[in-house]
Amino acid sequence: MTHEFGLFLIRYLHVISGVMWIGLLWYFNFVQIPSMPKIPDEQKPAIGKVIAPEALFWFRWGAMFTVIFGLLLAMMNGYLVDALTLKAPNIGFGMWLGIIMWFNVWFVIWPNQKIALGIVEAEADAKPAAARKAMLFSRTNTMLSIPMLASMISVQNPIM
Amino acid sequence: MGKILESLPLTVVAGIVLTVIMVFATEAIYDSQMSAPEKAVSDMMNNM
Repeated sequence: MTHEFGLFLIRYLHVISGVMWIGLLWYFNFVQIPSMPKIPDEQKPAIGKVIAPEALFWFRWGAMFTVIFGLLLAMMNGYLVDALTLKAPNIGFGMWLGIIMWFNVWFVIWPNQKIALGIVEAEADAKPAAARKAMLFSRTNTMLSIPMLASMISVQNPIM
Repeated sequence: MGKILESLPLTVVAGIVLTVIMVFATEAIYDSQMSAPEKAVSDMMNNM
């Protein structure tokens, strides 16, 4: 396998994982969360017990593989250190935003969603607080995804 | 911040504002990393 093909393959896997991650992030924020108040109570378990846990599985692993393939790609291209130290700020800002978003997914959103959806045992009054915290951090990631994607694209097409 | 994040349209607007800040910060970092001759060439290219 040539180095060029390796770069193509890792970039391709990075983009595929990223589409899975950000696509589901935007599904949660643009579709599922705003629709929940409109869904009758007796139908809500279909979302909470079936669709959301499945979507969260692909969401968190999409985040994991996006970051793994992204770091690998930066290493193979030789700009990993320059990006993380912001000597190459165009890609560096995007990488840091992506890493912050990955942290939010694995260490804030997923642990709180497990409580909110009843996947782990918790007191009844802990569920609304966990759901709100997960929602706010999911919104934070939606906000950060906008500059993050601009940064990723600007490497090939400079903004200014 | 919580008020902004509770509203989806305001979240998107905040994301766009952050993008603009990031673009200017990127330019400022690149400018600070340039040597004087590089800066002169860059300014000349921008004015062409």
